[in-house]
Amino acid sequence: MQWDINSARPVYLQLIEQVQAMIISGYYKPGDKLSSVRELAAEAGVNPNTMQKALSELERTGLVYTNRTSGRFITSDESMIQKLKEQSARGQIKEFIERMKQLGYPPRETLTLITKVIQEETE
Amino acid sequence: MGAILECKSLTKHYSALAALSNVNLTLERGRIIGLLGPNGSGKTTLIKLINGLLVPTAGTLLIGGKEPGPETKKIVSYLPEKTYLPDWMRVSDTINFFQDFYEDFDQKRAYEMLDRLHLDPSKRLKTLSKGTKEKVQLILVMSRNADLYCLDEPIGGVDPAARDYILNTIISNYNENATVIISTHLIADIERVLDEVVFIKDGIVTLHASVEDIRSREGKSIDTLFREVFRC
Amino acid sequence: MLSKLIKHEFKATARLLLPLYLLLAVMTIIDRIVLSLEFKGTLNVITGLVTLAYVLSVIAIVVVSSVFVITRFYKNLMSDEGYLMFTLPVKSHQLINSKLLVSTVWSLASMVGVMLSLLGVFATPERLKNFKDFIFIQMNDGRLIFGDMGFALFLIELCVLILFGFINNILMIYVSIAIGQLFRGHKVLGSFVAYIAINAVIQIFTSLLIVLAGLLFNKTFNEVSSLPHIIFPISILYTIISSVLFYFFTDLIFRKKLNLE
Repeated sequence: MQWDINSARPVYLQLIEQVQAMIISGYYKPGDKLSSVRELAAEAGVNPNTMQKALSELERTGLVYTNRTSGRFITSDESMIQKLKEQSARGQIKEFIERMKQLGYPPRETLTLITKVIQEETE
Repeated sequence: MGAILECKSLTKHYSALAALSNVNLTLERGRIIGLLGPNGSGKTTLIKLINGLLVPTAGTLLIGGKEPGPETKKIVSYLPEKTYLPDWMRVSDTINFFQDFYEDFDQKRAYEMLDRLHLDPSKRLKTLSKGTKEKVQLILVMSRNADLYCLDEPIGGVDPAARDYILNTIISNYNENATVIISTHLIADIERVLDEVVFIKDGIVTLHASVEDIRSREGKSIDTLFREVFRC
Repeated sequence: MLSKLIKHEFKATARLLLPLYLLLAVMTIIDRIVLSLEFKGTLNVITGLVTLAYVLSVIAIVVVSSVFVITRFYKNLMSDEGYLMFTLPVKSHQLINSKLLVSTVWSLASMVGVMLSLLGVFATPERLKNFKDFIFIQMNDGRLIFGDMGFALFLIELCVLILFGFINNILMIYVSIAIGQLFRGHKVLGSFVAYIAINAVIQIFTSLLIVLAGLLFNKTFNEVSSLPHIIFPISILYTIISSVLFYFFTDLIFRKKLNLE
């Protein structure tokens, strides 16, 4: 797994984003067991305290939970993951709509173009 | 437990030259801290003082609440910039040496790390390349369960793969009771591993802050900030 | 800790010195054999060459043992290895003690080794008998001159003086090296200068002491029997004082003024 960390932004935020991305993409499946903080930190090449901070934040939002004896796990709550997926998708769409606006395409025209492109792709 | 390092008005003069002037610095346990500064800034002087290789001209320096001496040397693990192991020794000899003198040395861990690097313990140091010798030293130093690790330029002059290995070893070795001080001028490569940074210039500490705070506040990497602060 | 330092010191030094002793042993045997073959005429060249090689190996072991005291101390404590040794959880005087002990042992060993080797090459029953007789005569003379007690004292003090002499020489080298490292960038030169300077000071002091002693002990000085009672004890005391001073300053410099490059 390649972690892509940029040193100019707070690392713990990026770690949160990347774990979320991994959950969305299915790399981490619901209920998956996570490696220890140290192992994850070593994998990502980051400070363990920073990784801990990111994991704590993920626990706070419920995406990750800790079982005292067995370790850390991705939530099995499929609806939460769905919500996360949708949130991420909405974010992407909003960004896309904004970029299309800058290209000169108002939202309605963008929608029309999308439909056209999808039709072409499926042929 | 208290702070692992406390410097109060720490000063070191070499005849006319002030290598360190009035350094006030407290380092807590469980952190990985970057000691960053240009060559000749006083980094090495500070590290030598911590290891009892130099005596302060003025001020105090406490490690785990004690002044530098045999008691502090028991809890400080030092990796100097140079190869300091006798050339005639075999790798296994060096392990036995560390085992003899340091109670906190974990022989098993050392052999595991050597094995992972495919290093033959029966080889004599003089037959190894410079890079391999440095790795052996790193393994010895990191196989101790010390309270304070002082790594002086651990990744300088080392290939990228070895660099990754070294940083990986530092991260994997982390424990919340111990602190690692990494003194280097290669900031971009290590900054993601750090909790805090200490900027030092002309013997004076100009900054001591959390790395993430700097990133949030300044919106830049430590490397970028360093270049700005220490612009020639 | 001290025992560990001593063990390590022996390990590090035996690597170089034991092969030399082996060489000496081999040369002793070879020369002994060649001499006993009693080559005549032109074959005598062989005897000459082998004996020359033998003599050279004797000189080698003596010279190398002495020089090694210096180089070992310098390399292990003042060069890069010093970073290893001075960060060990030991006191600086333990570092000095371990090296002093091992160096003394090797110095004595080289002396004994050479003596044994000479015996090995040249001893014959006849020569041994002559030597034994010679010793007996000396011992009788000795008892006559010093008295029974005095003679025993003489022998003991002689041994002590030799031993302390070795120790004193080694410590003088150590303190010179320690002083030398105070001079940033000119450590080796500084050590040489320090050694010569200390030597000079010792000479002056010794001369003064002799003059002083001569004045105080005018009459008795001329009698050989005064040796064990006056001269040897004073020499031993003098050696002890200078050894203590050398040791003290070496330790002081290591504790307060260490500056590894």
